[in-house]
Amino acid sequence: MSSARTPGDLATQLVTESRRSILTITLLKYNDTLVRSLIREQRDLEKAAAPYTHSATPPPALLIIQTIIAQNKRCLLAYHSQRLDHLITMYWSGGCSLPHVLQSDMRAKMSPHEVDFLKEYHGSVMEFRGEFEMDIDVTSGIESPPRELNVLVRVVRECGEIQTEGGVVDFKMGQRYQVRRTDIEHLIVQGYLEEV
Amino acid sequence: MVYLPPPQQATSSTPSYPQAYHRILTAHRRSKTTSPSSVSILIAPDVDALCAARMLADLLKQDDIMYSIIPVSGIDNLEAVRDDLMDSPELHTLILLNIGSILDLPSPEWFGDFPQADLSVHIVDSARPQNLSSLFGTGPGSERIVVWDDGGASKLQEERNAWLALENEPEPNSDSDEDSDDDLDPPSDEELAPDSDEDEYHQEAGGRKRRSLGDGDPFVERKGKRRRTRLSRGDREVHTRRIQKHYTAGTWFGQSASGTMYVLATVLERVDNELLWLAILGLTYQYTSSRISRDIYERNHSLYHDEVVRLNPPGPQNAFQANGITTITPDDTSIRATEELRFTLFRHWTLYDAMYHSSYVNSKLGIWKEKGRKRLTGLLAKMGFAQAETQQSYSHMSLAVKNNLVHQLESIAPEYAMTELNYPSFVRARGWKGQGMSAADEVDVLATIMDVAYGYKMEVEIEGGRNGGEWFGGGKVWEGRQASRLTHRKDHERENIPPGDASNRARQKSSTEDGVEVDEPPEGSKQDLPWWQQNFWAAFDALSDWSQLNRALPLCISLHRAIIRQGTSVIDKHLIKTMRSHRVVILSQGPDLALFSNPGPLSRLALWLVDALRDRVGNAPNARGRARKSLPFVVACLNEETETFIVVGIMAAKEFGDVSRNEFGLAFLDAKDRCNARTKHVSFDTSVLEINKGDLNVFLETLCDGPEG
Repeated sequence: MSSARTPGDLATQLVTESRRSILTITLLKYNDTLVRSLIREQRDLEKAAAPYTHSATPPPALLIIQTIIAQNKRCLLAYHSQRLDHLITMYWSGGCSLPHVLQSDMRAKMSPHEVDFLKEYHGSVMEFRGEFEMDIDVTSGIESPPRELNVLVRVVRECGEIQTEGGVVDFKMGQRYQVRRTDIEHLIVQGYLEEV
Repeated sequence: MVYLPPPQQATSSTPSYPQAYHRILTAHRRSKTTSPSSVSILIAPDVDALCAARMLADLLKQDDIMYSIIPVSGIDNLEAVRDDLMDSPELHTLILLNIGSILDLPSPEWFGDFPQADLSVHIVDSARPQNLSSLFGTGPGSERIVVWDDGGASKLQEERNAWLALENEPEPNSDSDEDSDDDLDPPSDEELAPDSDEDEYHQEAGGRKRRSLGDGDPFVERKGKRRRTRLSRGDREVHTRRIQKHYTAGTWFGQSASGTMYVLATVLERVDNELLWLAILGLTYQYTSSRISRDIYERNHSLYHDEVVRLNPPGPQNAFQANGITTITPDDTSIRATEELRFTLFRHWTLYDAMYHSSYVNSKLGIWKEKGRKRLTGLLAKMGFAQAETQQSYSHMSLAVKNNLVHQLESIAPEYAMTELNYPSFVRARGWKGQGMSAADEVDVLATIMDVAYGYKMEVEIEGGRNGGEWFGGGKVWEGRQASRLTHRKDHERENIPPGDASNRARQKSSTEDGVEVDEPPEGSKQDLPWWQQNFWAAFDALSDWSQLNRALPLCISLHRAIIRQGTSVIDKHLIKTMRSHRVVILSQGPDLALFSNPGPLSRLALWLVDALRDRVGNAPNARGRARKSLPFVVACLNEETETFIVVGIMAAKEFGDVSRNEFGLAFLDAKDRCNARTKHVSFDTSVLEINKGDLNVFLETLCDGPEG
């Protein structure tokens, strides 16, 4: 246990980071060092508590240490669950497309465990979707119900040639396309196209 | 036959618009792939084409056809687009709106050698003259060209015969039997061979070869016959001259593209108010930009008037205000016929300003001078309107004045030689969403959006800035981007954030919350678009979005102010040089230089000058001796960034509402050839030219020396 810091300080830092992430709706880089030092602090705390655990009348200090340990645990869990929530939101808003979420710059912000999590989560979702394959696509959005089969879209970002049911479309900036909605739904969701 | 007469002239044997349209539909339905790149609509950036595109898009949408819309700024751009399209394997229909009737489309240079076998190219263009080989060509390339004509082409029988005769007669000096010449240039005299006897042999050979290659259409038969009765040299000369006349008689405009679309919709029985309004806009655009004469306007107007009455049965309360519109129900979007005053945007401005900025009033009163302004106040006083009243914005003017306006004007204005103060037009109600807008106003605003919405920072007046209001004298830069930012906010609220941008968006949001203006949308991608494309789409959206139109009104007002400012200074400073056959204005300094280096505003300025000086200069003492003659105007404006001049040529018609053919297209080409100036056409309008700074003087000299010299 480092003497320079009050125990519990690191946990507060971690929670602050989470809060920042929530307020800015941004995924911050996974703070590996902070998490590690927090875990180290946990071990130190446990070591400090060890002598008291077997005494018949534990001193009040043990209570304090115990509280700090519990607090740290809560913060660690909160931090990770916030990150996972964010990743899942991103995953769903990206139209349940894994490669889209795992773009290079996003990937750099995740810990390897989080990447694993996403992959497995994706697997589960796909499996779930498979159950309804005939009837309904559970991954499509529900916020803006489609009003017509075809939509006029403009290109927000170049996305190259797209293979659709009707044939290849080369979406170019500055042009508009009347397309079948189902063909490009995911591109709208992913922000390449915009409905006019 | 590759041109289509309008349906009323079509017989059962000749196809017309609906057949061509159905051909598009069947081509689409028959093809295995139905991606939007199979039907491409190319649009020139003008209001008429814009309306036509909107109409066509509506029709295609109803038929469940996928399409893509591609705006094209000029010939250069068209070439680039053409190269792109060549690579698209699915393309089977190409529709050109107000593009390319002058181009030799069947030639391999354009659409002749597209790899797509079943491609058809439809041309809906109001520009005249048309290229004869597009109209009458019969080669393999021209099968795919379909010109939607307004009936003018069937009157070109003489040209047709002449063209066919020349086309089938290989030039005596050449053994090659190239089918298509570059017809953009009129056939030159060199085509007339000095001696043709010894080449007869080659000709025969060429002819026979062709006949064997022919695929048995009746035309080949005729070709053969003509071969036997070989053209005499005299005939050839007559034919050449005939064709030359066709190309050199100047450019003019036929039926508007949106008018053509409306005819199509009528035949398909799909007409509704929306389409009718777009067609009216197209027509009004042609009239207000002096592309068609008053006569033609009135002829078309009466057609649309019948349609308006048919689709908008008069309501129970028939007593509409004279110029305003009373809306009866919240979603009453009917079109009504009115008499439109020739005042600029007068429903959205003050009466004084509207009159002050109107080119018609200007030409009659001479507003650019102090005396003229006095005359205007005099006129208003005579009509019995208080000055404070005329400085009031129209919506705040007292009802009595509004109702009296037309009547008073009609009785007083003739004293000021303003006899044609109004013309029949239409207004469209907008339910309770806002004040109705007249066709002329809407066209004006749309044209403004297309010219200056992006790419040029323009100051607009803040509301409440007049009459010593709180923000007196304040102005701000008009922002076209507001809309795009709004949509981004909306995205944000939908929480539909693509992960890649999540951080960006958030950052943007936080900074806007801090009150810091963020100029660029997150990806900065919209900004990558060239300004004319942004303008085009802004105008395209504004067609269906009234709030955007309303937002652009101040911009339009600013543009009018700038035009009158520049025009007045041109006249005040005597910048107009009168040459023998032209009047020339060169703008090379001034605060609005950047604005007028766009062809759109510059053309407007030129039109304003023409109108302003029509009645003035002719009466000037130096011209008293000879008959009043209006000289064509050439206006050049320096573009400081590119070190070039934009040159616009406008023919000056003698009377208001008259239109004469624009001969500048050819005069420009001619002058260019003679002085080797480095020029380029920036738009589809042949009377607009971009020219290198150094070459301007010599170019203008050559131009003014003219063909006579």
